[in-house]
Parts: sequence; C-alpha cells; structure tokens
Amino acid sequence: MPLQLSPKMQAFTQEVFPAIIGTNRKDGSVEIVPVWFEQKDGSFWINGGTNRGWFKHLERDPRITLLLIDPKEMFRWAQVEGRMVNWAEDAGGDHINELSHRYLKKDYQGPRTGRIKIQIEPLRVTGAIDGRR
Amino acid sequence: MAGAKTASAGLSPVDGSVQLNPVWFEFEDGFFWLNSNTGRLWPKNLQRDRELTMLLVDPKTPDRYAQIKGRLVSLIPDPTAEFIGRLAHRYTGKPFRELEPGEHRVTFKIQPVSVTGQMI
Repeated sequence: MPLQLSPKMQAFTQEVFPAIIGTNRKDGSVEIVPVWFEQKDGSFWINGGTNRGWFKHLERDPRITLLLIDPKEMFRWAQVEGRMVNWAEDAGGDHINELSHRYLKKDYQGPRTGRIKIQIEPLRVTGAIDGRR
Repeated sequence: MAGAKTASAGLSPVDGSVQLNPVWFEFEDGFFWLNSNTGRLWPKNLQRDRELTMLLVDPKTPDRYAQIKGRLVSLIPDPTAEFIGRLAHRYTGKPFRELEPGEHRVTFKIQPVSVTGQMI
C-alpha cells in the first residue's frame, strides 16, 4: 500500500531541488544520479528515456529510492523508498516541459520526443524531515 | 573533487533495497574519507559489502555531478572524534557536537574504483 506523505513531507517535496535517485544494477551495486522530480497526489514523478541505465534497472527491479536534500541546508533531508508503479510515453514532452517550468521557469530546451514519465509510489520515508532515522 | 564541498550521498544496499544517505567526506591522497557513528545502518552495510556508490553534486549547478564507485580499504577507529571534528569544520565551520554516551566514531578509507558523470 502506498504511504501517505506527512504534511511536512508534502511541503518539503514542493521545494525546488533535484532528487537523487538510486536503482539496483544487475551486479548488486547501485546507480545514483540526480533527476528532476515532482510530487503530485502522493506519487513522485520523474522523466527520462527508455535508454537510460536507471530505467533499465527499474524494468528489472522496480525498487527505487529518492534522496531529497535541501542544497542550502544539508540537515534538511528525506529518504523516500518506493517503487515504480507505472510509466508512459511523455507524448509531446508535456511532462518534461512541466518539470522545466518547475526548475528553470521556462520551456524545456531539449528534444521533446522519445521521453517517458515514470510514476513512483512511496513506501517508506526516513530522514530528518519527518523526524525519524 | 578536493574542492567539492557538497554533501554527497553515500549508499549501501540492504536486502536488495536501495539506501541513500547524505554523508560528509574529505578527498585526500587519492582516497575518500568518511566518518560515522558505528550504530548507524549505512556503516554496517558498508562493512558487510565493502563497496559503495557515492554521488557528488554541485549544489549550485546540479548538472555538475560525479558518480563514484568505491571500495572500502580500511576502517580506522576515531575514538577522540578528531576526524569527525575536522569534517564538521569543513562543512559547518564549527566543532562537532559532543559525542553521545556510548557513541563510537569510525573513519572509512574508500578507494575510488570508477567515476562517471557530467563533470568529468
């Protein structure tokens, strides 16, 4: 069952900074990269391409962890463990454009084709924001 | 990298799940040096797996990042909290807090094995 985010987490996830995502490689090591994200209706949404290493990992093992850190205040952080529940073509690049507006306040400048949006359901939140470790 | 003064995410998988934690580090003599309270989960996992992945992100320009796979070379007890004190100065400009009763600090020497990312 998806986790319902606390009011503090709801607010924290509206702040604008990249999420650091971790996915499982086949060899048991972990891939970590920063990505744009948004949280809407309790789910986390990220955007990418089917050729990304981390997406290939998710197709094999849907578990994904997002680390959210306020870049100005490193003690404000949260770890969200979740799983990919859905992905779909980002037709016309509408979703990446939405993210671009969230992060850069302007239209997305890169190619809008061949992109996908990924829905992540949170299962567990730890870290400083919710006062739990 | 030595100049990068960003909190990095250290990591170790537990039971196949993915654990991400912010950690303080120093890069010196070609090694990454981390420090932790031995009671926490990530140092336990690191001691078990002997390897981790770290991500360094420039907080001002998130497009600049490096992903480093590393191997645990050695574990050095930090009983007087000298090294964590040094890291605290690097990150906060202040001394480290008082150790809690029963708290043991340990320093991890990490050898970088591979580096990927957008700043190399």
